[in-house]
Amino acid sequence: MPAEIEVIDLCRRFGTTRAVDGISFRVARGELFAFLGPNGAGKTTTINLLTGLLSPDRGRIRYRGEDFDPGRLAVKKMIGVVPQHNNLDKELTVRENLRVHGRLFGLGGRELSERINFCLDFAALNEKRDTPAGKLSGGMKRKLVIARALLHQPAILFLDEPTVGLDPHSRRRMWAFLRRINQEQQCTVFLTTHYIEEADSLADRVLIIDRARIIAEGTPAELKQQAGHFVLDIYREEALDNEFFTTREAALERLKQLEMSVRIRETTLEDVFLRLTGKRLEA
Amino acid sequence: MLNGVRGIYLREILILRKKLVKTVLSAAVSPGLFLIAFGYGIGNNARVDGLSYLAFLLPGLLTMSSMNQSYGIATEINIARFYFKVFEEYLLAPIRRWEIVVGEMGYGITRGLIPMLVIAFYSLLCGVQLHFGPLFLLALLLHLGIFALLGLVVALLVRNHSDQATMNAFLITPIMFLSGTFFPVAQMPLPVRLLAALSPLTYSTRLIRSTLLPGVTVETGLFPVLLIMLVGLFLLAGRVVARVQA
Repeated sequence: MPAEIEVIDLCRRFGTTRAVDGISFRVARGELFAFLGPNGAGKTTTINLLTGLLSPDRGRIRYRGEDFDPGRLAVKKMIGVVPQHNNLDKELTVRENLRVHGRLFGLGGRELSERINFCLDFAALNEKRDTPAGKLSGGMKRKLVIARALLHQPAILFLDEPTVGLDPHSRRRMWAFLRRINQEQQCTVFLTTHYIEEADSLADRVLIIDRARIIAEGTPAELKQQAGHFVLDIYREEALDNEFFTTREAALERLKQLEMSVRIRETTLEDVFLRLTGKRLEA
Repeated sequence: MLNGVRGIYLREILILRKKLVKTVLSAAVSPGLFLIAFGYGIGNNARVDGLSYLAFLLPGLLTMSSMNQSYGIATEINIARFYFKVFEEYLLAPIRRWEIVVGEMGYGITRGLIPMLVIAFYSLLCGVQLHFGPLFLLALLLHLGIFALLGLVVALLVRNHSDQATMNAFLITPIMFLSGTFFPVAQMPLPVRLLAALSPLTYSTRLIRSTLLPGVTVETGLFPVLLIMLVGLFLLAGRVVARVQA
């Protein structure tokens, strides 16, 4: 079966800056795929390229085995996009925002009303249907943008930093919401994030990008396994060092040899990123 | 079919409906002030091109004010594009780029019709008879289409809000004052006449004035001139929209 999304040697420059530099990857149908990297790594540029908002300098994008041509409207119909900014019409009500989107995607009449009602229920925004979008809380605005992207029943949902700006409580509720979308709507979800915990908790597979290049790819468990499943935090005088071990026993053995303050714990994606790049992700 | 046109027009009209009172008032204030300052300042006894000055001025004010409204979509598109990023919704939707042009032009034309009602009211107050016939409507639609397209092109060519303001200052303000709204272009010095010849408003003002005033011969030869401008700007807008990226 062809991949839902296949990217081959994709490149895009802005002036002399390489925003995306020869990246290749595949996303399987129904997968919840996280694109993890620090700010400025090339995540948004990649989404813009995948959705036709930007054209690549080089490389290929394929959807279900066919080359992506942004001029082909059928491909655009199977994509839903949640941009990083809540690009809602603040003066329009929740329902009006959905109505306009539905019209742009060719929905009308009873079908449009039914889809709007479904999405309002799904996103728990029914009580706010007549509230201007500008008066919603940050979390509700985010949900409305996601509900809008789901209105036309896309097969693939792109989310660019879906939880940025949300408080920890709202962020966790959003994760549950995204899992429901992936499972109940049978939607392939491609999300970008710079939150380690988000990728770790949500994603079936994670791709780590830094300075426009892919540096690692796999399930969260695979990535941690590659680095070593256990890590020792070694507190030296002015620095914190890490050492990785494949087994707890090996880590404990090393622990005995050390006389300074040491902590043993399981490896996180943050450690994986640190090991690969020498820097922390959420600095 | 035409999902883009319908979706974009729906969006713009829903927003216009929310701020209709503000829009009508803003469309009334500027021509009202010009009417007081120029119309009554110069006096109704003054005659221009064989007409009372008020009869000369009112059609000019209608043309200028409706131009401001239809071209005014430029600022809204600019804000939607750079600030609220709403324009991305259009670029992501499964619609043809020319549908964006038609949808926005339709909105610009609708907005530009508001001053017609305002000036009709002013003409009643001033006791100036204007004839709102089919030729006038045709001329007005061409005029509004031209300036809505110009607004769209400018909004998509500029790179930020500041450039938009600069374009308005260097493009629209001279067009407003040099295109025969307040005084006949023929009375202006040669360099101004040459500049006025480049302005679409010069031709639409002449045509609309001739269709509005009873007893004045309609300058039918100007219809094809405006139509050519409209088609040219439509093609240009299509090219510009096709090149827009995030």
